[in-house]
Amino acid sequence: MKRLLVLAVALLALGMLFAGCGGEEKKGEQVLKIGTMSPLTGPYAADGNDIRQGAEIAVEVFNEAGGIPGFSKIEMVSEDTACDPKQAVAAANKLINEKVSAVVGAYCSSSTIPASETLAEESIIMLTPASTSPKVTERGLKYMFRTCGRDDHQAPAAVKFMKDVEHVKTIFIVDDKTTYSQGLAEGVAAAAEAAGIKVLEHDHVNQGDKDYSAVLTKVKAAHPDLFYISLQNSATGALMVIQARRMGIDAILMGQDAVYHPKLMEIAKADAEGMYCTFGAIDKDAPKFKEFQTKYTAKTGNAPGAYSAYSFDSATAYLMAVKAAGTTDPAKVRDELLKLDFTGASKQISYQENGDSGSNYTVYKIQGGKFVPYWNSLTGEKY
Amino acid sequence: MDFFLQQLINGITLGGVYALIALGYTMVYGIIQLINFAHGEFFAAGGYMGVILISYLSSQGLHPYACLVISLVLSMGYCALLAMAVEQLAYKPLRQASRLAALLSALGMSIFLQNGLMLTQGVYDRAYPTEITSGGFEVGALSISYMQILIVAVTASLLVGLNILVFKTRIGRAMRATAQDKVMSALVGINSNRIIALTFAVGAGLAAAAGIMVGLYYGSVNYTMGFVPGIKAFAAAVLGGIGNITGALVGGLIIGMVEIFAAGYISGEYKDVFAFVILIGVLYFKPTGIMGENVDDTRV
Repeated sequence: MKRLLVLAVALLALGMLFAGCGGEEKKGEQVLKIGTMSPLTGPYAADGNDIRQGAEIAVEVFNEAGGIPGFSKIEMVSEDTACDPKQAVAAANKLINEKVSAVVGAYCSSSTIPASETLAEESIIMLTPASTSPKVTERGLKYMFRTCGRDDHQAPAAVKFMKDVEHVKTIFIVDDKTTYSQGLAEGVAAAAEAAGIKVLEHDHVNQGDKDYSAVLTKVKAAHPDLFYISLQNSATGALMVIQARRMGIDAILMGQDAVYHPKLMEIAKADAEGMYCTFGAIDKDAPKFKEFQTKYTAKTGNAPGAYSAYSFDSATAYLMAVKAAGTTDPAKVRDELLKLDFTGASKQISYQENGDSGSNYTVYKIQGGKFVPYWNSLTGEKY
Repeated sequence: MDFFLQQLINGITLGGVYALIALGYTMVYGIIQLINFAHGEFFAAGGYMGVILISYLSSQGLHPYACLVISLVLSMGYCALLAMAVEQLAYKPLRQASRLAALLSALGMSIFLQNGLMLTQGVYDRAYPTEITSGGFEVGALSISYMQILIVAVTASLLVGLNILVFKTRIGRAMRATAQDKVMSALVGINSNRIIALTFAVGAGLAAAAGIMVGLYYGSVNYTMGFVPGIKAFAAAVLGGIGNITGALVGGLIIGMVEIFAAGYISGEYKDVFAFVILIGVLYFKPTGIMGENVDDTRV
């Protein structure tokens, strides 16, 4: 008898729990939920938090402007991927349970790809602000969009710069074996060979290493004209730059978009002077970027990170599309996304059929502790 | 030849850092047979305390070397206190429990401290001021930075200090006695709880010094920085014969050298593999570690 009573109470309690969350919300008072996923912890937490905050600003801007008709307000849910494929899939499932209608993220291509498969099953739109692997949009997923550029555009752009501008004859490449950094480094090696630049060696280090003295001693002994650094993280990039300069390596230093971050100069300081990095062109004098920068700095106390503007634009693009469609129905929002052509904080954005938005890699030079646009890969001209 | 010598210098520097961290593992293991997995976090905390203090002191216009010495002493003290608190909180209540419980508690503490560091200091890397760290000289084709000399010098002097503490003082004798037999040494009037806390404090102080050295050498610190060197230093301690102070030094140097030479002559991606292959080999053929035979006499 007693057991029955306990069971009954337990069932009642459970019932109440479900009643609590089951209530259909009335039309017109629906909350529009979008999710972000990025590495909020672990070695890539810096870029990951930039992504979360960028999207947050976009949501804030829309809420302040009166929201979107048909929705009571816009909410954002953030999940941590830690740049780990398994955790990214778990994050995707959590966001599905939260009933988000779109996801901005992730950061590492190796997380974005499995997460996007999970989201695709539920027809949830995913817009990545930072994953540059060609595979992200080459799998034919209908609801996958990309706001940043592609590695197979970045590698040739970097090599073209080496050949045409710096007249480099020999290079030494180091990557840290992530899907992204190694893929890009291999792309650079192939493009360099094709362009007649000799790749002296392509070596690897491990993620999380702090001591690069061994590999840098090799670089020094090889005397390359240019030392290409393809690491997943700007902080480790800074470590490599510092150690390279202190060891007396006088080769031209070049990095890529994951190394491109204000933190690079903050750590490497004078040692980073004169280094080149490829990154999607962001016009920092454009009113749209300035506006974003002001809001971002006011909210976070930091200058926008490398991918903040891309993340802001990804969320903005989605919200604009929902506003135009008047619904979160993925098929209709997709049509609206493809129709978009707007000036974002990062660049002019118009998505193509495969979800890409075009690459516009620019070579930046570090001068006076700042990334200064140096060479435009689209025109082949110096700024 | 130059290439070899340069790699040798790199190896000694890295090995010195591993040795400093390994000493803490070995001392704590020697006295209470606990592998303190939170030890790498003391290293990270020391590095952070160093960057905070050095940045502050140098903004006050102090001479860079004065900043360094003051910060070194203060962060070692801070980490010593932190380690004693951790010991009180996480290990002392479990002293009579199974070893597994203490080990799990150590793992938990490691995660707790790492996250504490992340929440209080942020996820971004913190940069050390560079006035102290830059500069060096060339000998033929070899380049030696002042930081490399500093690391070796600090490691050497701390080791000498530790040896004096353990083998020439009353406290050291009490430590050795406690390591041999806690109950018996308590019976002859040694406060074993105090000695254990002190061992933790000394080990953490050494790790803090290593944290500052690494921060200065590499230019920045990060809240995850304790994990990988922690594991490597643990390997070094086991390799040298866990519980043995000289063993920790030898093990640290070996792991550092192997890592650098593997990266230099084979490839950077295999260096960790080689370090651990050697570890496994030693454990297979000589489970007590290299200096293992006289564990009972000299362990702490």
